[in-house]
Amino acid sequence: MFESPRWVRISALVAGVALMLLVPFYADTFWMQAGLFAIAAAIGAIGLNLLTGATGQLSLGHAFFLAVGAYGYVYFASESDNHFVGLGLPTPVAAILAVLLAGLVGGIFSPIAGRLKGTYLGIATLALIFIGQHILSNAESVTGSHNGRQVPPLDLGFLVFDDSPELVVANVPLGAFERLWFLALILLVISAWVARGVLRGRPGRALNTIRDHEIAAGVMGVPVARYRAAVFVLSSMYAGLAGVILALVFRQTVPDYFGIILALDYLAMIVIGGLGTVAGAMIGAVFITLLPQVLTRYSDGLPLVAAPGSGGFSPAEAARIIYGAAVVAVVLFLPGGLFGMWTRIRLAVAARRHRAV
Amino acid sequence: MSTPRIPELVVSDLTVKFAGITALDAVGFTVAPGTIHAVIGPNGAGKSTCFNVLSGVYRATSGSVRFGEHELTKLPPHKIAHLGMARTFQNIALSKLMSVENNIMIGRHRLTRSGFLTAGLRLPLNRREERDHRARVREIAAFVGVSEYLAAPTGMLPYGVLKRIELARALAMEPILLMLDEPVAGMNGGERRRMAEVIKAVQEDLGISILLVEHDMGMVMQLADQVTVLDFGKRIASGPPAEVQQNPEVIRAYLGVSDENATGVSMDKERA
Repeated sequence: MFESPRWVRISALVAGVALMLLVPFYADTFWMQAGLFAIAAAIGAIGLNLLTGATGQLSLGHAFFLAVGAYGYVYFASESDNHFVGLGLPTPVAAILAVLLAGLVGGIFSPIAGRLKGTYLGIATLALIFIGQHILSNAESVTGSHNGRQVPPLDLGFLVFDDSPELVVANVPLGAFERLWFLALILLVISAWVARGVLRGRPGRALNTIRDHEIAAGVMGVPVARYRAAVFVLSSMYAGLAGVILALVFRQTVPDYFGIILALDYLAMIVIGGLGTVAGAMIGAVFITLLPQVLTRYSDGLPLVAAPGSGGFSPAEAARIIYGAAVVAVVLFLPGGLFGMWTRIRLAVAARRHRAV
Repeated sequence: MSTPRIPELVVSDLTVKFAGITALDAVGFTVAPGTIHAVIGPNGAGKSTCFNVLSGVYRATSGSVRFGEHELTKLPPHKIAHLGMARTFQNIALSKLMSVENNIMIGRHRLTRSGFLTAGLRLPLNRREERDHRARVREIAAFVGVSEYLAAPTGMLPYGVLKRIELARALAMEPILLMLDEPVAGMNGGERRRMAEVIKAVQEDLGISILLVEHDMGMVMQLADQVTVLDFGKRIASGPPAEVQQNPEVIRAYLGVSDENATGVSMDKERA
């Protein structure tokens, strides 16, 4: 609707990607890890924004599908041993299967996802979180219970996403994080591109119409339940992919991570970033993921924020307070989220320039 | 474009009950191919309920609606849409957040095939469909007179324009039966005249059947070939407009008097 010329958008995209490609050559381990979390979260948030932002279907179960992706990968890629079972498949195959598994599980849930709308689906998906936590704790041979399970590094044959064998480019040693960075970045670009295509094409219009006026969508020939189910499956696959990347970054999966708090984090991402758009999901993901990390890193210099147990708020608490306030502020003052604000600023600037000419 | 074969729409013995209230009571009428058929009646007569049953939004308690060989009372809304039935809504039912063009594009849904994969990967089918159907949408927008608003966000437009966008969206479905639920409600005189011209042009140029719910009697008398009058869910009269206008039952329903000499009274006063 409010588009910059094509060449502006393309050159901005190319510049952005080029900048991101340079990051591993300069950033330290802390920032690499934080950045990888942000990229994985961005992919997951794009998926949730397709479901919640574009279609109006609330999901509190997104963290469950991240867990399916993460544990699915570990299960498919690991060899069976005395404690654990696994299929020992080639790791790239395991990664793809893990994403498909997340989609399949979403598909199993789709009779519910297709029939329930809005907040009702939110309640139903909440159950998934608890089911997930139960399975993660109790299916020990698959999930490793509370100790979690080690994640086999991804091995593409010509490149292993691990610290060894050593790989040095331009005098910079590229370890597991640096290598994963490039992979995650490519996956993010593809994920964003596909989601944008979906949103701007025939399915996106159908989803938006379902969100804004369900009855009109049906009368216009959109099979409402089928689209709701389909977007739920797609959103689950995005979550699964995010889960696989997170598992590769963590190198050890822990069940506690995939709880209700994570699911709420994802909702906060799309609300703060902007509902219904790919860019909004990415901005929100970066904001929510980096905020606690940055606060931890720089807690010395910030008032009221201190190391846990020493008075003040812990950085994690401070981050929650800030983004709680951010959600409220966005809902009150910034419909459209941070990305919507950016669009409005650009419009205002364009209008002023238009008047000046 | 060859004229599509248009079947009759036959409504018979249609009854709809909501928790003890009978909204429609054994109503029957037939929309002959290529004609404009109006359904009129005072507020609460069951006109919109009737529309909602025909388009599959409400379920009928009993009775049947046949469109050619299809029994519509058993079908969900999207299947009815695929038979070539389009409708507008009395209260605007557009997506406020989408552009006008995209709102009209949703009318092309039944005529296009791109799915998640085709659109996500921008396969050639997707590109071709987007290009061709957006071109057709622009033609339809010009026909209805909303071309200048295509790029605008729908939420910001005035009511009269939104009504026309609804009509454009319904026409974008290339329907063979068009159902208009109070197309000129809330419009001023000029807007009403324009809308009436567009509706007349739709029928003459496309040769499709039109089912019209309307309160504006001037418009009904001018456009309709046949009129069905409902009151409290019952059909109280049916026939050509001039005949219905003289019907004492109809006058009683509209004016609330039983003076049978008061024939020919204008019914425009009905609406507050």
